Amino acid sequence: MSNPKHDKGEHHMTSPGAEPFLERLIFNNRAIILIAFLALTVFLGYNAIKIQPDASFERMIPLEHPYIVNMLEHRDDLENLGNFVRIAVEVKEGDIFQAEYMETLKQITDEMFYLNGVDRSGLKSLWTSNVRWVEVTEQGFQGGTVIPDNYDGSRASLEQLRQNILRSNEVGSLISDNFRSTIVYAPLYEKNPETGEALDYSELSRQLEEQIRQKYEAQNPNVEIHIVGFAKKVGDLIEGIASIAWFAGITIVLTTLLLYWYSRCIAGTLVPIFTSIIAVVWQLGTLRLLGYGLDPYSVLVPFLVFAIGISHGVQIVNAMAVEAAKGFDSVTSARLAFRALYIPGMLALISDAVGFLTLVFIEIDVIRDLAVAAGLGVAFVIITNLVLHVLIMSYLGITRSGVRHVQNHGDKQDRKWRVMSYFAHPGVAPISLLIALLGLGLGLYYKQDLKVGDLDQGAPELRADSRYNKDNAYIINNYSTSADVLVVMVKTPQEQCTQYEVLRAMDKLQWELQNTAGVQSTASLANVSRIVTKALNEGNWKWYEISRNQTIINASIREAPAGLINTDCSLTPVLVFLEDHKAETLERVTDRVEAFASEHSNEQHRFLLAAGNAGVEAATNEVISSAKGVMLMLVYGVVSALCLLTFRSIRAVLCIVVPLGLTSILCEAIMAVSGIGIKVATLPVIALGVGIGVDYGIYIYSKLEKYLLEGKTLQEAYYETLRSTGKAVIFTGVTLGIGVVTWIFSPIKFQADMGFLLFFMFLWNMVGAIWLLPALARFLLRPDRMIARDRARK
Amino acid sequence: MRKSLCAAGMAVSLMVPASAAYAVADVLETPAMKSDLAPKRLLNDAVRAGDRILAAGERGHIIYSDDNGKTWVQGDVPVSTTLTGISFGTETHGWAVGHSGVILHTNDAGATWQLQMTGEDAARLAIAAKEEQAEAIQERIDEAPEDEKGDLEWALDDIYFALDNLKSDLDIGPVNPLLDIWFENERHGIAVGAYGMALQTRDGGQTWQYMADELDNPQSFHLNDVARVTGGALVIVGEAGQVHVSADNGGSWERRESPYDGSLFGVLGTGQMNEMLIFGLRGNMFISSDLGRTWRAITNTAGATLNSGAVPDKNEVVLVGNGGTVLFSANGAESFREYFRDDREGIMDVVPVSGNNLLLFGEGGVKRTDARGRNLQ
Repeated sequence: MSNPKHDKGEHHMTSPGAEPFLERLIFNNRAIILIAFLALTVFLGYNAIKIQPDASFERMIPLEHPYIVNMLEHRDDLENLGNFVRIAVEVKEGDIFQAEYMETLKQITDEMFYLNGVDRSGLKSLWTSNVRWVEVTEQGFQGGTVIPDNYDGSRASLEQLRQNILRSNEVGSLISDNFRSTIVYAPLYEKNPETGEALDYSELSRQLEEQIRQKYEAQNPNVEIHIVGFAKKVGDLIEGIASIAWFAGITIVLTTLLLYWYSRCIAGTLVPIFTSIIAVVWQLGTLRLLGYGLDPYSVLVPFLVFAIGISHGVQIVNAMAVEAAKGFDSVTSARLAFRALYIPGMLALISDAVGFLTLVFIEIDVIRDLAVAAGLGVAFVIITNLVLHVLIMSYLGITRSGVRHVQNHGDKQDRKWRVMSYFAHPGVAPISLLIALLGLGLGLYYKQDLKVGDLDQGAPELRADSRYNKDNAYIINNYSTSADVLVVMVKTPQEQCTQYEVLRAMDKLQWELQNTAGVQSTASLANVSRIVTKALNEGNWKWYEISRNQTIINASIREAPAGLINTDCSLTPVLVFLEDHKAETLERVTDRVEAFASEHSNEQHRFLLAAGNAGVEAATNEVISSAKGVMLMLVYGVVSALCLLTFRSIRAVLCIVVPLGLTSILCEAIMAVSGIGIKVATLPVIALGVGIGVDYGIYIYSKLEKYLLEGKTLQEAYYETLRSTGKAVIFTGVTLGIGVVTWIFSPIKFQADMGFLLFFMFLWNMVGAIWLLPALARFLLRPDRMIARDRARK
Repeated sequence: MRKSLCAAGMAVSLMVPASAAYAVADVLETPAMKSDLAPKRLLNDAVRAGDRILAAGERGHIIYSDDNGKTWVQGDVPVSTTLTGISFGTETHGWAVGHSGVILHTNDAGATWQLQMTGEDAARLAIAAKEEQAEAIQERIDEAPEDEKGDLEWALDDIYFALDNLKSDLDIGPVNPLLDIWFENERHGIAVGAYGMALQTRDGGQTWQYMADELDNPQSFHLNDVARVTGGALVIVGEAGQVHVSADNGGSWERRESPYDGSLFGVLGTGQMNEMLIFGLRGNMFISSDLGRTWRAITNTAGATLNSGAVPDKNEVVLVGNGGTVLFSANGAESFREYFRDDREGIMDVVPVSGNNLLLFGEGGVKRTDARGRNLQ
């Protein structure tokens, strides 16, 4: 790569010797290239249309982390442990002991029974026969279904029902503590046992919404229905992805308006939009050819590609308008614009792409996919913008109104630029640096609170005020249950998982965990054995212990829930219910388990972390926090190296990169203050923000250097820089901002977080380039030496 | 199908030093973990020793309070098995029993505890006693006339059967729990437990005598509670309606005709001479004023198993049980007022404290309540 000295041609007519090879290649074969592009677009467009949504759970987790390796290895053994739907039917007025309520509950239970994917034998509600009350009598046990045999909805039978419920041990799990709601619990099949088909989460979620919630809330206005469970969450997520289409539309409309306001030229508006969309089409088409689908993360990449395409397209439109205003024809304007911009443009875009590619080092597939998708997209933007865009514009030209807009607004703009050029003034620059230092101090202070992981209650993928999370909060508040489960897998030799030593070890682990802050409760075969041993001894609490007698243990766990023993009795889980899924909580608990495992694991029982949503999150957090430093180093290293290669000056690199660093720190401070953790969704933001944010500095510095080399004073050179590229840079920041700002309204929480942070980074990096870069230049650059060196090089 | 497992379990003795065979040390070698949760988890039995109140429960928890239950301190206990009973002979000398047949002793009012005995020791005592009996019967068979030999041989078979059971239990380890303990002073005490186990000491637990054979309990039913009633008589109650009375401070025992076939979980002296209440499964409750010779049923509709009781004041009786049951009588157990606590948790014991209040111990730890059983703020 070379110094952008080629754009000296701005002031003369073009001469063959001044034309770089690339320019000749492109402009001498305009028609052929356009036709080739058309063919490519048709082919990739066909593929882009056929790309499928893909919300695969596995792609969102760090598959190489030992926790996840353990979990996937034992996935079949743990099946159905966590896959269920819980429907809480709440009564609005009065309590559940009403004939109408019980009737609605019965119908919902029946409806669930016939829903596709429900494991009917495990279905539980007050109306199913597996919900019983039991009493110890002199002769043994006595019991029956909770709903009395002769139930007729009369006051007497409702009173009997109340008695049965009190004896049933289901208060807190199936019946809320305040008797104002009950749960219909439906375990789900991952695969339909008859047809072998995988469960269609999206379809199930829709059915729950229509056939359960809407239907029965309409039918009985006195009930409110709350639905939670993995299936419902995934359904809601998939639905959330669909809303992205709206954002795409809004973004395109906003960008079009903005572009027109900026260029006052129909061609200058529509061509960048068109070529940027082409880049998106190529990107999506290629992704499909490479075998990728669209997940909730990569679905955002087209927005970035589009915004990057527009923002660079603007530079070209701007440059062409400036040339056209000087009186050149369309083709010459296009040539001159290309010549002026292909080096900084390519450098900027390559640094974008490389910034994205550093994400590949994070061992989570969605992030890698994101990196590949964004890297591809930016590579295509290089072609569509620097080649296709310029070629189309060379045919169409800037309209007269567009040229006039550039000419008319010159003076007014110049006054503005004149004021802004004071950022490079020796009196203003120190103040700017002081403010920057203050910002740095504040940023460093607040970013101390930056946390890893998801910080909000409930399902972190969805918003705190989403229907799902409200339902989740209702169930957590009214039932003894937690949404955050860490599963420790206890591996034993075959047929040994119920041995006394195993139960004893699990029991010890559980007690240590219950004494760990953040653990709400634990459950395992050990609990089952204790409680059933007590029950078998006439309900006498003095027998609440794991017997050393294996015969008694075997009797006590005969009816243990299926998920607690795998088929060959070689794996049994310890479920740890957590108060939240904050990173500290997860780390504290997993540390405790790991310490226990390293001390007590042997051939009889090995303690393996981890399954359950909290296990996955703990693994993800570990990967994310160790990846963060590496990624930051890489992205800054690559961006600095590229700048160094181009501008051959460490001082230049500092001018460009220091404002980025400030933005990154401020971004982390904002994350800390607004309660956004470092997670799968926000880690890429840092790379994207830096990779794209460096563009502004590159465009500004390349111009600034050029004017300095012409012998202008710093402030004068900066004034000229602003005149020629300031508008485009500001506009770029705004377009990029608009490209991502719509995500803030996404129903998917992490998309909103990404949108918010990227919006900040794109805008603030632009501010940093325009405000802080000249101030740094005042202190760092030595124009005399730069000129001397430039001459020497020639 | 699980028989093979069972055999495998029995093949290895559990008393092998922990480091050698098991990654997790045996409960008898694992001191109870100090935990803030101890007062909030299962507590099976409680006792007053002077101004101090002590309670024992799951995982070797023994906690004590010197301020009527407002704050609790956890004692140092060398085992972490579920404890079932606690009793103090003096203000400083106390004993606790539990699973694995442990008997623990303190001589500093509950701050630190030492293991006096385990279920294996008890099993060896039982085996020695049975072997002695077997020998005696064998001798009698040798000398007995032919027509008596048959009965004696039957008796010998029974003893051998019992011996086999004891030995195979001992192979597994200390499998059976003791369920209650009572101490008169710092020397004399009685412990009872599962499968008819009964032990007595007259030297503060230095040595324990096997007492099960002195009780008329041929089927080795569980013995659940031992207590003294006003007048000095000792009473043991248990499974299958057992009521055993000793009028000579444990020297000899007589089984009383029972008014009830089911399990009795508690016996309580009412404070009247020779008067006691026995109670158990499904709220069955009987009173006797003549040391168990005649009984009168006391009806109550609560229906929940009753576990324990106390006499807060003259003529007052409070009984506690499963399902949050608290029964209160102000007329010497003539009739009871029923109350069910909202949490419906099992209550295992009750200790009256000043201000007409109660401390309830059970499934959910210790609760400070008013006389009725409602939580104090």
